[in-house]
Amino acid sequence: MIDLQDVGVNYPGHAQALSGVTLHVDKGEFLSIVGPTGAGKTTLLRLLYRGETSTTGTVTVAGQNLNLIRPHDIPFFRRKLGIVFQDFGLLPNQTAYENVAYALRVIGATGATIRRQVPAALDMVGMAHRPDAYPAQLSGGEQQRVAIARAIVHDPVLLLADEPTGNLDPDTSIGIMELLLHINVRGTTVISATHDAVVVDRTRRRVVALDKGEIVRDEEEGLYKEALPADPEPAAP
Amino acid sequence: MAEGRLAQDFSPASHRRPAFRRPVVGPAIMFTSLMFLTRECGRDIRRNSLLSVATLGAVSVCLIVSGAVGWGAIRLHEIASRQPGRFEEIDVFMKPDAPRESVVALKARILALPAVNRVKLVTREEAWRSLQRDEPTLSDALPDNPLPDALQVFPRRPADTAVLTERLRDVSAFPQIAHVTDASRMVETMMAGERIVKVIGGVIAAGLFAATVFIVFNTIRLTVFARRREIRIMQLVGATSGFIRFPLVLEGLFHGVAGGAVAALVLIAAARIGSQWAAALRSPLLGDVPTQVGPLHILCSLTVAGALIGLSGSYLSMRRYLRRV
Repeated sequence: MIDLQDVGVNYPGHAQALSGVTLHVDKGEFLSIVGPTGAGKTTLLRLLYRGETSTTGTVTVAGQNLNLIRPHDIPFFRRKLGIVFQDFGLLPNQTAYENVAYALRVIGATGATIRRQVPAALDMVGMAHRPDAYPAQLSGGEQQRVAIARAIVHDPVLLLADEPTGNLDPDTSIGIMELLLHINVRGTTVISATHDAVVVDRTRRRVVALDKGEIVRDEEEGLYKEALPADPEPAAP
Repeated sequence: MAEGRLAQDFSPASHRRPAFRRPVVGPAIMFTSLMFLTRECGRDIRRNSLLSVATLGAVSVCLIVSGAVGWGAIRLHEIASRQPGRFEEIDVFMKPDAPRESVVALKARILALPAVNRVKLVTREEAWRSLQRDEPTLSDALPDNPLPDALQVFPRRPADTAVLTERLRDVSAFPQIAHVTDASRMVETMMAGERIVKVIGGVIAAGLFAATVFIVFNTIRLTVFARRREIRIMQLVGATSGFIRFPLVLEGLFHGVAGGAVAALVLIAAARIGSQWAAALRSPLLGDVPTQVGPLHILCSLTVAGALIGLSGSYLSMRRYLRRV
C-alpha cells in the first residue's frame, strides 16, 4: 500500500524535516506515527497525500509513485484517500449531511450515489441521528465523527489522520480511535499521526516513532513510549 | 539531495511517468456538477452581496464611460461622414437692403467665375416660407421677415470651396454681400472632435478597463480568501483545479455580464434622450442622421465587454491563488 524509500524532505533555510525515512505499510494495516512536536509526523502524512514532495527518495502510495505524478493527476489520486485533521475542517455554514455530501459532490457523484452513501457514512460514525446539525451545534467529538464520515464516504483505500484526537478529551479520543479501528477492520488502511499516548497505548497496533525527522522505532503492537526492559529478577538472598 | 535525485531519476521503477487512469465523466455527472457549481456560485454571491454590488457598480461605471466614449465617437463619425456633400455648398447672404436687381446681377457675376459650377438664388420670401414651414413658433414670434436674399454657390470641384469662399468674403469686390458661410469649417471641427474623442476616450476607456479588471481581480481574491477553507477541503477530497475555479470564474462572469447589462440600459436611455435633444435642436449638421448602432448592439457589445472584464479578472486571480495552494 505504502512504500517510502530513503525519503528526505528539506525546507530551504530550515532543519531537515525528514531524513532517510524508509517505511513499508501493507494493505489493511493500522499504523500510529508518534513523536514530539516537530518530529516530522505531519510532513510524513503530507508526503502521503502529495501535499508535499520529497526532496530525496521515492514515495509510492497505492501503486502510484508520487514523485512522478503529474500535477493534474493529483486530484484523481486523492480520491483514493480519506484525510482527517485535528481542526476537523468542516464547512461551518453547511449541515453535517451537506459536509459529508460535499466530498462526493466535488468528485462529480450523482444525486443517487450521494443519497445512498452519505446516510451510510453518517450511520457508520454514529451520527445518523444528527444529519441536519451545523458544526457549531455539535461537540468536538461529534464534529470529528462527521469529518471522519466525510473522509470515508467515498470508500477510500487509505485513511490518513493528522492528530485526530488533538482537540478532544480523553474519553472522546478513545471513542474516535475505536471508530478508526472499526474502519480499519473493514479493510481500509489507517495511518494516524498522534501524540496522544493514551489512545496509542490502548490501541496496541503498529507504532512508528519519529524524532528529528528520522524513524527511531518501528514496533508491532507498540506503545507510545518505548517499553522499558523488564526489571531483572531480584537476586535470591 | 543530489544523490537522492539521481536515485529517483534513474531507478528502474521510475524511469518513466506511469499513465494515470482517470474516471470517465458522463453527461449526467457533468450536468450534476454544473448544477452544484452554479448553486455554489449563487451562494457565494449572496453571501458577499455587498462586495458583489460594489464590483457590479465598478464594472457598470467603467462600461458606461467606455460605452459613452465609444458611442459618441461612432455617432460623431456617422454625422461627419454625412457632411462631405456640404463642402461643395457655399451660402452667400446679402445685406438686407441689397436690391433684388443687384442680387441677380451678382448671381450672374459669380456664375461667370471659372471655379463656379452653379448658383441658386434663394429669395428672402422663399427663405421666409421655409422658416414658416420648419419653425412656425419662431416665425410667428417675428414681426416681419428679417431674412435677406441668399445665393447658394456650388463649385466645380470640392477642392475649390475654400478658395472661392475666401474670394466671396472680399468686401471690396463684393460690397453687397453681408456674410458667407460654408460647412467645411464646422465639418472639420467635428472631425477634429471625433479624433480627440477617439484618442482621449480610448485612453480613458483602456485605463478604466484595466482598473475594473483589477477591481474584479481583487473581489475574486477576497472571495477566494473567504473560501480558503473550502478550497483546501476541495483539494484534499480530490476536486480538480477546474472544478475549484469554475464557481469563481462564473462569479466574475456574472459581475461582468450584469455590470455590462446595467451599463447598456443606462447608455440606451441616455442615447435616446440625447437623440431627442439633438432632434429638437434642428441643427442642419445633426439633424436626423441615421445610426448603425441600435440598442441591441449596445447591449451585446457592453455585455461581451463586461464578460471579458469579469473572466479576465477572476481567471487572473484564481491562477495566482491556486498556484500557491
